[in-house]
Parts: sequence; structure tokens; C-alpha cells
Amino acid sequence: MKEPLPMHRESVLPNVLAGDAPRAAESPMDSDAFAGFYERSARPLWAYLARVSGDSSLADDLMQESFVRFLCASQPEEGEVAGRRYLFRIATNLLRDHWRHPRQASIEEIPEEFFAVTTSSGEADILGPALARMSPRERQLLWLAHAEGYTHREIAAITGLAAASIRLLLFRARRKIASLLRQQSSTIRRQP
Amino acid sequence: MIMSPCSHEIEVAELLRRGQWPASCSPELRAHVNACRACGDLVLVTETFLHARSETAGAARITTPGALWWRAQLRRRNAAVERIGKPILGAQIFALAINLFMVVAFLAYQARNGLGWLSWLEQLPDAYNLHFNNLSQSALLNPGWSLIVLVPALATLALLGAVVVYLASEKQ
Repeated sequence: MKEPLPMHRESVLPNVLAGDAPRAAESPMDSDAFAGFYERSARPLWAYLARVSGDSSLADDLMQESFVRFLCASQPEEGEVAGRRYLFRIATNLLRDHWRHPRQASIEEIPEEFFAVTTSSGEADILGPALARMSPRERQLLWLAHAEGYTHREIAAITGLAAASIRLLLFRARRKIASLLRQQSSTIRRQP
Repeated sequence: MIMSPCSHEIEVAELLRRGQWPASCSPELRAHVNACRACGDLVLVTETFLHARSETAGAARITTPGALWWRAQLRRRNAAVERIGKPILGAQIFALAINLFMVVAFLAYQARNGLGWLSWLEQLPDAYNLHFNNLSQSALLNPGWSLIVLVPALATLALLGAVVVYLASEKQ
């Protein structure tokens, strides 16, 4: 009769430091695949976080946290495109959590001055001042639609908003920022 | 605000998405975009955002993926440890509850029988009384209170208390 194998607590855990974490933890991606995915996704994600939050340091932190959470997710979506969309969803949730803390209020109730954009790319950045006058939600929608090229349905999945409302919200936000951009351009042109 | 979408918006958006605006655009469409506010807004906003995206992405400070990879693995491992630790925590709480119940029952029993047993404390300075045999004899002579029960009970309580403190500190 065989003796039962001893069941130690450590035996059922991935031995991370010994290097068998991917197998034991059933990680959805191996380290090489993750490195490739990271190389392709990190910069767009950082740009999204930096432009929407207006804080490059915050973008650094949230980007790292987004990737860690992406890897820790039990069943992240398969494929590069779906994976990136999932990553943006995580980042969007982290941004929302950041804005809510420490105030326990809705993102819509917080005054826009609280989110003033301070990130500037330097030379003649007309988008920065215009974005600073948009609400965080509008910034997110505009960036996802026009910088990342996501469809309304994808934006709905990322932001958690109803797909039907994205079209109208985006239309309003686009019209608002377009007039701000035109004002900004005419101001710059008038300057000597 | 009234939403007035343009039928050319999809076509313009597709050209912008492919990076073919305005090179692959027909003169008619270009004339339309110049005249149509919705399409003009679309072109202006998309071009500005795409430019900002490439500019901002170039300025990104990117860390090595390896560090994030191991950080995620450690977090997964800690989560697994926590999952496994949940039943153990339940057992600890159960043991603590039993312990507290015993203490309360013991105190209730003693309260009902009076505090006469404390008289042995008066004789405590006398080392003679601390001898186990004497304790046993006094316990046998005093059925209301038994030091044979008291001493092991206190020792057990002290031991369990120490275990609880140890487990709590280990958890922290």
C-alpha cells in the first residue's frame, strides 16, 4: 500500500524565486510573450494615462500597476488586441479609483480643476490646454476614440459606460474640444 | 446640443485611421470636409490626438518588463498563500472562541462557588505551601476549589494566549 504523499503548504504554491512561477501559477503569458506584449503596449498605455490624468508620475505608477494586474488576472482575454483592450480597461479603472480617493464621490461630481492637466510635450502643445478644460470622462472618450482608434463598443467595454451613450458623449466632447483647439490655434497665430 | 452626424464621417474616419488622409482623399471629399462641421471636427481632433499620441508615447519612461513580470508572480503567489491561509484563519478563530468560552465558563463557575479559593493567596509567601503535594492535599481537603484544576487551567490559558499572540504576529 502506497503511503500518501506529504502535503506541505509550500508544495502547492509556486516557487517564484526558484523560477517555476509560470508553470505553477498557471500564468496566462510566459515571460517572453509578456515582454513582446509590453514593448508594444507600454508606450500607448503610458500616453493614455499621462494625457488623461495630466500627471506623468501618476502615469508611471498606474502603468506598472496595470501590467501587474493584467498578469495577475485569472483569465485575461486572449490575443494581442483583446489583451490590450483589457489592459486599457484596467488602467481606466485605476484612474477612476485614483480620482475617487480620498474623496468618496462620483467622478462626475469632482470639479474639473481637480484634474487640471499639467503634462506638456513641450513645443506648441495645443492639445494640453484644451484637454485641461475637458472633464476626465471626456478626455478618456476622446483619447480612446481618436488616439487609439477604438470603436464605440470597445470604448463601452473599457469605460463601463453603455454603448448607446458613447456616440452622443463622444459627439459632444469632439465638438467641444474642436472649438477649443480652433481657439487655441487662432491664439497662437495671433501671437508674434 | 443637437447631434447632426454626417454620412461621410465613416469614410473620413477610415482614411484617418489608415493614415491615408489627405493623400488618398478625393477632391470632392476634401471639399466636403472643408464645408462640413462634423467632418471638419473629426479631422481636426483625430489629427491632433494622433500627433499627441506619437509625441507622448515617445516621451514615455518605460521600465523593464522583467521586473513587472516577477512582481506579478510574487503577487499571484501571495494571493495563493492567502487563499490557503483562509481555512487556517478560520481554525484559529474557532480555537480562540472555544478558549474564550472556557474562560467565561470557568469564571462563571468560580463566581457561583464564591471566591473563597483566593484564601490560598494569603499563604503564598510561605514557600512550603507551593509544594505540589501540599497543593494536592489542600485541594483534596477543599472540594469547593481544586488547585489541581486551577494551575493546569492557568497554564493552558497562558500557553494558548502565547500561541494566539504568536499567530497574530506571524500574520502581521
